[in-house]
Formats: sequence, structure tokens, C-alpha cells
Amino acid sequence: MSQATLSLGRVRYRLAPWARIAGLAVCALLTLGPVVWTVSTSLRTPAEAFDLPPQLVPSNPSTEAYRGVFDQIDVWLLALNSTLVTGLIAVGQMITAGLAGYAFARLEFRFKKVLFGLVLATMMVPLQVTIVPVFLVLKSMSLTDTLLGLIIPAFPTAFGTFLMRQYFLGMPKDLGEAAMLDGAGPWRTFRSVYAPLAAPGLAIVGVLAFNYHWNEFFRPLILETSGQNYTLPLGLVSLQGNLGTGSISVVLAGVVLSMIPAVAVFVVGQRPLREGITSAGVNR
Amino acid sequence: MTDSHLTRRALMRYGAYGAGAAALAGTAASWDRLTGADIPGRDDGSLVVATLGPAYGPEAIRTLQEGFRELHPDIKLRINAVQAVDWSDFFAKILTQVAAGTAPDLVYVATEGVQLFAQRLGVALDRWVRRDAAELKEYFADVHPSLVESMMYEGSLYQLPVEFNAADIYFNRQVLRRAGAEFPPADWTRDDFTALLRDMKKSGGSRFTPYFWTNRLWGGVVPWLFANETNLLAESKAPGGQWLWDGFYPAAQREGRGGGFRWTTPQATHDRVEEVYDYLASLIQDGLCTRPEGGNGQNLIGVFSTGRVGVTPAGGFWAGGLHLAGMKQDGFDVQYFPRWRTQRMQYGAAGYALLRTSKMQDEAWEFIKYAARRDTLTRLFTTNQTTPARRSLLTAARYEETGPAHWPVFYDTLDRFPDTGPIPAPPQVAEVEQVLLKHTGTALASPRSVRPALRRMQGDLEKAMERDA
Amino acid sequence: MTNTQIPPARAARPKSAPSPTPKRPSVRDRGTRLLATLFLAPTIVGIVLFTVVPIVGSVVLSLFHWNVIDSPSYAGLSNYGEVFGDSTVLVSFRNTLVFMVFAVALQLLIALALALTLNGRMPVWLRSVFRSAFFFPLVLSAASISVVMKYLFNQDFGVINWLLGFVGIAPVPWLTSENAAMTTVVLVYVWQQFGFSFLLFIGGLNNIPKEIHEAAALDGATGLRKHLTVTLPLLSPTLLVASVVGIINALQVFEQPYVLTNGGPGDSTRTVVMVIYETAFEQLRFGEASAVGVLLFVLIMAVTALQFRLSRRFVHYQ
Repeated sequence: MSQATLSLGRVRYRLAPWARIAGLAVCALLTLGPVVWTVSTSLRTPAEAFDLPPQLVPSNPSTEAYRGVFDQIDVWLLALNSTLVTGLIAVGQMITAGLAGYAFARLEFRFKKVLFGLVLATMMVPLQVTIVPVFLVLKSMSLTDTLLGLIIPAFPTAFGTFLMRQYFLGMPKDLGEAAMLDGAGPWRTFRSVYAPLAAPGLAIVGVLAFNYHWNEFFRPLILETSGQNYTLPLGLVSLQGNLGTGSISVVLAGVVLSMIPAVAVFVVGQRPLREGITSAGVNR
Repeated sequence: MTDSHLTRRALMRYGAYGAGAAALAGTAASWDRLTGADIPGRDDGSLVVATLGPAYGPEAIRTLQEGFRELHPDIKLRINAVQAVDWSDFFAKILTQVAAGTAPDLVYVATEGVQLFAQRLGVALDRWVRRDAAELKEYFADVHPSLVESMMYEGSLYQLPVEFNAADIYFNRQVLRRAGAEFPPADWTRDDFTALLRDMKKSGGSRFTPYFWTNRLWGGVVPWLFANETNLLAESKAPGGQWLWDGFYPAAQREGRGGGFRWTTPQATHDRVEEVYDYLASLIQDGLCTRPEGGNGQNLIGVFSTGRVGVTPAGGFWAGGLHLAGMKQDGFDVQYFPRWRTQRMQYGAAGYALLRTSKMQDEAWEFIKYAARRDTLTRLFTTNQTTPARRSLLTAARYEETGPAHWPVFYDTLDRFPDTGPIPAPPQVAEVEQVLLKHTGTALASPRSVRPALRRMQGDLEKAMERDA
Repeated sequence: MTNTQIPPARAARPKSAPSPTPKRPSVRDRGTRLLATLFLAPTIVGIVLFTVVPIVGSVVLSLFHWNVIDSPSYAGLSNYGEVFGDSTVLVSFRNTLVFMVFAVALQLLIALALALTLNGRMPVWLRSVFRSAFFFPLVLSAASISVVMKYLFNQDFGVINWLLGFVGIAPVPWLTSENAAMTTVVLVYVWQQFGFSFLLFIGGLNNIPKEIHEAAALDGATGLRKHLTVTLPLLSPTLLVASVVGIINALQVFEQPYVLTNGGPGDSTRTVVMVIYETAFEQLRFGEASAVGVLLFVLIMAVTALQFRLSRRFVHYQ
């Protein structure tokens, strides 16, 4: 795949634009193919699931698998839990990242570099290494097997803080200096000059947080014990059935259902998301 | 330009206010949900039972709970269907709870974990079994002694089995017809099996593989090891257990029973083990068998039900699975594993283990008894996604809708070959299983790798068995 | 444009002696410090509670034998000795490094190629369709998508071998041979992850002034040569961020090998994080699992630090 497009890049002045577009189209098909297969298989009966050639447009579409999902698991409760967890993490991260990002970008204080390094270093810690001590900390706070136990530890966000720092650094410095000269204190400078400009940046953090935590599996798996506290990805495991005897169509229907909110957020938040990821690597 | 920009900014700000307000309101409204305070039976001294999520849907849990309430209205019960993709995932999660001091009272444990739990966490049920012997007579009469023995550890009983699955061979009848082959008799041999695969291969297309299996402890290589009269680890019986056999089983069934299985010295380099691997490698070489994939075997149901595979090892749990996958009762059938040196087979069983940390052991025992009752199992096992441990539940009516025609095979595997036993699962089972799967993968990856892989398996098994679990 | 905001590069610079901001009354300084404290508190408290304390906990745990059930017993450094003597652990480190190199390289290559190709002339709507398509896999769950991929990559019944059959390629044992399995894990991982680097590059390319391209074209640089001599150096800060984030994520890979191959065949796709999970949660050797975790943490730090050292030489800021 890379070979094809690289050479396309090389000869782009000799090749007609249609060739370039055709190359991109092939890559786009490769990228979306598995998703299309998932959706179409969830609309077929299990007996047709392995048909080759795969019927991408089911000849006889059936929503039976989706009914199966609703029969076998409490989709609404799981969705409520997922929404609460993901939504609150998103809002929480917007707040912590907005504040900390501003401090790192626009305020002077001691140990700034050390603290910023500390924040970034947390990106490097694999969750699997610290999950047992995290579990013990949560226990001391009586937060095990609660949704809050999933939410609160996720509030600090290294990547979000980094993003918001970049975002604030990208704003013209003169704005704040002008306000200061007008006699505004640090709080007023933040509140009336910079904060109002931060909304798009915060939207990015929110969308990224939603995206990541909506699909999160490992933490809920270890931390939540009561069925009533499961999030969607955890609940979907049930569909695999005892010893893997669940119907593949139902399993995939579950995957598709859980995909819907993530895709919705993707469609709505695509722009901030794109800008967010982009700005992290941009040297403005 | 500036105008629209400003509007957008203002919009975003109001949007942010809106989101903030909604989040606050949402948090306040769902505080009980967030703290789990709305879950009935939380921290109120309920008896807590952990079951395996995928096997127990919301319907099954309601059934279990209601039945128990009728019987014991005084005991508050909470059932947690713990979500996990397989048994080791499930045990991992239970152990995290143990580590945090929030262990359940009862845990659903399969053969894979029986000895681990018995040795480290469990309470022997002996005194209660003795106390309620009269009440339990009917249960033991209905359950094969081998299943009971598989739940014993060093002379004591740790669980009452409620379900099990022995490995049998499933056939896709359409593939059989296509190959012009007869459904094999119960006493067929390994060579009959090979010949059948060849017939199937001849009549199948290029996208057809006669034999498909999954690389796991249950139903992977182990059935063939058992059929070739060997085992991964040297197998013996612990002394003791007479108190149980004498009390509940007639003399004929008592014979040879002891105080539970012991799996000790690794024997991966023994001739008979090598024979098994050579046999499987030759099947792969001849295109009669797929290279084993790791995992929970989900591919399997799909490829089998659509006739891309002719035969595969599975247990009673598959009847329901194939039915769900849209297979008709007469589309498949089941027979015993073929005879090699013997026709002894392997199984895995499951029941509830009582944890030492439980402060409600008497109440927990009541649940164990309740969970093994005939009416409980009847209500619970409605979809044939497992084999009930009680013989009396295997009736023609049960399998009428799902099939297969030869359903008695599921239980008769125990009766016809009474030395049929559990998969090897010492307390060090996690490492043993990992070592087995890992080197089986390498051994069968290319023709000449069997011996070196088995040598490494032997070394790793020795190391694992030396380690105190 | 002189103010680069890639933090480590910034940190690496010599401290400029005079502060560029004008001196302000001390009241305001105190206000600033108070505000900074308040603003940082939620993040720092959270990090200390849920990352620093657990890391210290892991380090302490790595000095004990602990099986969760019995109380821990002090083991000194013996867990580390055990870990270094365990071939599975050593293989897992090798696998993880191999995985990292190929996954990150492939991901950057694909992303860069697609970003450059997309940068050419084409209708705006088409560009946004492509952009969305390439980005899409990122919103899916790694575990679910691995389940799907397992079906697609099946040797005998999968769609991928069926497609390859048309060009005369014999069925590849994607998941069941030691040689192919790692490739499969890399492919599935890259398929889901390249969109991230892709977007970084799109952003980076947008930031390169048009005049530079035009000047290069006047000098006769076209096609690949232009990209190598002009675009790439200008893109190097973006490349740095993409590779740092890519490497940190790749060294922690878990879901894909766990679902696709469960580490097999043999140990060929067992990664460090898988070993940590298995040792801790399946075999109940929390001390050794923590020791492996500490080693992985050190490795990630070392690789990242090395990268920044190298980047000082190769990254060009405008």
C-alpha cells in the first residue's frame, strides 16, 4: 500500500490527477473495507457470514442480529453508563487540561519545566503496570466498583494538557500584555482575554477524550465488578456466548451498535478533532 | 468574515456553558448511578456470587435469583456476572478483587481453576456434605462420579459440579453426504478417522478443510493425548475420598475412585505424546487439517455451520451454538472421539467454589445446594450451551429443537468410557496452559519442528511445575 | 516563527538569561503564582494519586514476591534476576522493539505518502472524503476491530486470502505461522493507527508556506527530490511528534496481539505488556510482573530520550 502511493507521489507530475485520485481511492477502500464488512455481516444471517465472495450488500438483509443484541444484554443501561463515564471524563479533561495548559503556556512559576515533564512522562506509563496499585488507591477512597472510580482517575490528561498548552501558546501574546497594562490581574487576563478564545481547543480535548474512553476496555474490565456498572465494550463480551458459541452476526451487530455514538461524535467533532491532532504537531 | 467568526465563537461559548450545565445536572441526577448506590444488595451483607458473564445473561441471573429467593427468603443474594473472554480472564478479575479485599463469597470455577482455588482460596465442603447427606443422595445418584472426583483436591470435595463438557466429534452431515461416507459407529478408530478426512478432502473444493480445531487446553491436543493413553503431565490419584464414595455411590462405581486427580511430572517428550503431535502434523501436511489458531474458537462455529469444515472437536455446548448459528437439527451430528490406544476422553466441568474469606459460609452452602438442584438446572440450561452435570436432564425433549440426533453421546462419553477424566489442571494451570499452547503452535507450524518444540515444552513445563503456584 | 513549541526541543535550548516579559509588580507575581497553583492543582494531584503513587507502588512491588493471596515477602532484586533469566520475557522485549520499528516506520511512511498525495490538486469535497476515510479507523475500538480482523485474516476462510487468490498468491497462514503472525499484528495495528500521523502531516504540510514550494520548483526540484530536500526538512518537527507519540503507543501494544494470536504461535507475537498481564493476572506473580513493568518504563524513557537527542541533529525549525 505504501509502495503504491509513494511511487504515486514521485511521479505525480507525470501522472494525471485521476491516477493520484485512483490511488487514494484504493487506499480509502482498503481502510474502510473491514468496517463495511462488519456492518454488512451484522445484517446477514450467521450462515452467510463466511460467504466468499462476501456479499457486501446483503441479498436478504435481516435485523435479527440487532434484536438478538437487545435480547441478550441490557443495551440501555450499558449505554447510559458509557455515556456518563465518557461524558464526564470529557468534561473533566476539558477543565483540567484547559487550566493546566494555560498555566504552562502563559504563567510563570517555579518548577514549570519539571512539572510539565512530569505531565508528559505519564503518557509513557502502561496502564497494565500500575493497575493493581491504582486499584488499591481507589479502594482507599471507596471508589472500587463505581463509575466514579473510572471517571476520576481519568481527569488528568497529558496529551490534552499538551494540546491546550500549544493552543494557548498559539494565541498572540500581545492580547494578554495589553490587558495587563490596562491593570487586569492574572485571573482577569485569563478570564476575559484567553478563556473565551479557548473553546475550539477545549472541544478538541473533549472529542479526543470521548473517542478514547468510549472504547476503553481494560480499566472497566478490572475495576468494575457489578453487572450494573458495566460499560458498553464490557457488556458486549456477553454476546460471544459461553465458550465462544455466540452468533457472529450478533457479536458484530453489537460492535456496530457501540460504534454509532463514536461515529456520531466523529462526524460532529471531526473538525475540532482534526485541528486538535494537527495542532499538536504544528510548529506555529 | 470577522462577523461569522465572532458568531461562531459566541456559539461555542454558549455551547460550552450549555455543556457545563448539562454535565452538572447530569452528574447530580445520576449521582446514585455514579457511586453505584442504586445497586440493590451492595454492602448490605448480601451473599455475593460471581459467575462467568458470557455464560450467564440477565435472564439467567434473574432466574437464579428468583428461584433462590423462593427457597431462602431470609438470605439476601447478589449475583455478579463477571465479564471476561475466557476462564483465565475471569480468574484474573476475581483475584484482583481478592487482592483488594472485596472478594465474593462464591465463585463459579471450571476445571481450569478447581485446584488453584482449592489450594489457595477455597473451603472444603466435606462437613456440609456429610451433614446434609440425606438431602444430597439424589444429587450424587444423578451425577457421574468422575465429575465429582474432578472437583476433589487431596481427598476433600470443593465444588458440586453443575455442568460439564466432554470432547466429542461433530460432523457436518452435508459434508458427510457429499463424501459419500457413512456416519461412523461408536467404536471407530483413528485410522477410520483419517480415511474419512481423506474422503471428505477428495469431494470438497479448494476452500474446504476437513478437520478444524482450536489451540486451547480443553479440546485442543489433549483429547488426542487421552485417546493415545497418555497425558501432558503424569496423572495419578490422591488418596482419600472414601468418605464420599462409600456414602453415595454403589460399589461398581466406587472402583478406582480416589481423593481427586494429581498432575505432576511433565511428559511432553514421551513417545506417545510425540506420536500425537506427529499424527496432527501429518494431517496438516496432507491438507486434512488446519493449523491451529489460538483463541476462543469463535471462527469455528461459522466455518463449520457453513460446510467449510467437515469435523471438529466440541462438547454439548455446541448444540445450542450451532442452533443459534442457524443450523438445522439434522444438519449436524455427534459421535465419540475415535479409538487410538483407548477411547478415554477429556472434559471440563464447573461449579461454585466457596472462598475462605467468606463470612457467610453456611448461607453460601445453601446456594451451592440450590444451584445444583434439578429444577434450578432445568430452568437455567434452556439453550443447550452446555451439558448439565445431572444425567436426568439429558432427554430427547431437551435436544428436540437443537439436535443433534446422537445427543446421548454427550453424557455417555462418561458412562461408556468410565476412566474419562478432566483436562490436566494443577494449581499451576495458568503457566501449564500457556506453555502448552505456545509450543503446540510452534510444533505444528512446520513439519520438522515437532521434536525441538516438545523438548522446549518439556523444559518449560518442568520449570512451571517446580514453581509454587 | 522563531518560537517553536515542541516542548523538549524547547527545554533543550539554553536558557535565555533576561526574561522577555517586562518586570511587573510583585503583587501580580504572587497572584500569578497563586493562579498557577490553582490551575495546576487538579492535574498534578490527579497525576500524583493515580500515576506517581502507583509507579512507586510498582517499584516497591517489584522487590517483593506477592501472589495476592498470601502476604508479600521481601525478595530484594531476585525478581529482576528471574526476569532476565526468562527467555519469554527477553523474547517479548525483542518482539516489542521489532514491532515498534516496523509499526512506526510503516505508519509514518503510509501517512506521509498519503498526506503528500492528498496535498495535490483535487476537488475539495473529495479531499475531505479521503481525509475522513483515512482517519475513520481511529474512532473504533482496538479490541472489536481485532475480532473482525481475525475473521478476515483466517488462512482457510478469510476474505484476505480469497482476494490474494485472484493474483495467484497461495493462502498465507497469517495468524498461524511464526513468520507471518508478527506481520499481521503490525498490519492490523498500522491500519488503525496511521490516521493519527496522517492528520499530523496534513497539518504540518498546511503550515509550509507556498512560496517555499514555488521557490523549489523554480530551482528545478520536482517530485520525490523536492520532497526529500525541501518538504521533509520543513516537516521534521511534525515528524518528531508523530514518531514520539507513535513509539510511546507502539511500545505499549496489547489488544491486537492479545485478540489476534494471543502471543503465538510460540512466543512470536508476545509483547511486553502481554507478558506483564499474563505474569500478574494469570500466574499471580505480581512482583515479577512489576519488575517487567519497571523495565518497560525505563525502556520507553530511554527510547524517547534517545529520540530527542537525535532530533536535535535532524529536526529543523524554521
